[in-house]
Amino acid sequence: MFRLKHFGSTMSITNKAAIVGIGDTPTDRLGSKPGEPRKSSAEYLSWALHLALEDAGLTLKDFQGQGLGVTIPTAYPQPFWPEEVSEILGITPGFLLGGATGGAGAVSLLGGMSAAINSGFIDLALVIGAAAPFSEHWGGGIQPGDMRDWEIPYGTMGPNSKIAMVMRRHMHQYGTTLDHLGKVAVAARYHASLNPLGYLRKPITVDDYKNSRLVADPVRLLDCVMPANGGKAYILASPERAKTLRKKPIYLKGFGERSNPSYGPRAGSDALIMGVKDAGRVAMEMAGVKHRDINFLELYDDYVIVVYLQIEDLGFCEKGDLKFFENTDFTFKGQLPIQTGGGIINCGQPSTAGGVHHILEGVRQLRGEGGERQVPNPKIGLISGLGVLPYGKNLGCCAVAILGNEV
Amino acid sequence: MAELDVRKPLPAITTEAKPFWDAAAQQKLMIQRCHDCNAWVWTPRPSCNECGSEKIEWTQMSGKGEVYSFTVIRQVVGRAASKSFEPDIPYVIAWVDLAEGPRLITNIVGCPVDEVKLGMKVAVQFEQASEKVWLPKFKPA
Repeated sequence: MFRLKHFGSTMSITNKAAIVGIGDTPTDRLGSKPGEPRKSSAEYLSWALHLALEDAGLTLKDFQGQGLGVTIPTAYPQPFWPEEVSEILGITPGFLLGGATGGAGAVSLLGGMSAAINSGFIDLALVIGAAAPFSEHWGGGIQPGDMRDWEIPYGTMGPNSKIAMVMRRHMHQYGTTLDHLGKVAVAARYHASLNPLGYLRKPITVDDYKNSRLVADPVRLLDCVMPANGGKAYILASPERAKTLRKKPIYLKGFGERSNPSYGPRAGSDALIMGVKDAGRVAMEMAGVKHRDINFLELYDDYVIVVYLQIEDLGFCEKGDLKFFENTDFTFKGQLPIQTGGGIINCGQPSTAGGVHHILEGVRQLRGEGGERQVPNPKIGLISGLGVLPYGKNLGCCAVAILGNEV
Repeated sequence: MAELDVRKPLPAITTEAKPFWDAAAQQKLMIQRCHDCNAWVWTPRPSCNECGSEKIEWTQMSGKGEVYSFTVIRQVVGRAASKSFEPDIPYVIAWVDLAEGPRLITNIVGCPVDEVKLGMKVAVQFEQASEKVWLPKFKPA
């Protein structure tokens, strides 16, 4: 029997569920200027739902009594948000899950819903997320926890402050330069320039990256994800159900998740190692794939350095192997295509729904719907989701999925 | 003593963290240590994060450490409370690794921001933030 090393998972869910529909609204920043027309998150939710239904050839009625997974926006103080989404859309789910892992929620829900489908409890699931941070003002005070008690009193300015410390440490420890990091930023923007759903589409150079404004030294503007309004959804089905539908099924081949990862003592963890190291290994073992089998990576990208660290921690090179970054072509035509749709740095992050982007782009590539940025004949893609920046360490929730277009 | 800036956000003195703040008011830096497995437990927890033991003891630190990494805040962003830090700009947010092991988020004070370096040796200095709260910050050692 398939058995994962070292960790609790003992069951494979390879090829037990497939993505059969995707819905991706254009992103915008409506509401950032006074008097602009606005859309609510409910409108983006409905829009994403209808795009996904049309893509799959399903109707709302098909989802009654089935799975509904909802990403939970960070600033929304409503504790019953997933249920409220079911009301907004008119679905009576038989299995309702909220994404508990922040920006990793979209990938976590892919694992959770696939496991539920594999169990036979449901045979269809909708996973959806939307946010309109510019059009709606949800407010939200400082919540209890480490951030309130041990960070904010020192004047930390959100995630930028902590990622800046991660980035500076990596540059200090391994000699990483803005040229190494800029290469990642340039490849992602190039792909966004070829993506009709890109938001920042003007190609950039490494010099543009280097010369962009310092936000939180050494983090620059072109290091940062771009918040946006938008909605995103995907539909999962059992393999039997998938065969009856319109689009080529894209199977979940492997899944792994690590929350609250720690490398070294928990009170002083190595802040340069990410939980994708273990989540990725588990997902690849489950899928039965090696690095050379993976045709592209769609990595959660709240910051450029975070993409960079994941390439190391997923084992595509050794930690601090600068030559690898110098010698690898990360474009869709290259040896290791990454961020083939541009990532959310360039396509926009509707809060935690941003994590859905990477799955949707992976599905497009595996269907052969990548248009001008199509990776040649891909069979396997790796998707990651990340969420939360805890006290004193790197990202707190890490999920990895391996998708494939063959059983 | 400088006047306290009452607008700045303060930590809540939770039951598990109260011994930390009581000690800080006495200019002592205390961290929990597990009696059973010797692991440091930080931030304050009801039980050991390494082995689960409930036998954890507050232990006084040397107050010495070094800068693991840092950033310089040159503009305030985000939540309303951030505004209260505007007069302090530019200031340093750092991860300081204590000589004993635990890593703290703190400020580096007592030197120009451009002089802060990774690996720099630092020592604790307490700054009063409210009647009951003294924040441990670090200065060049």
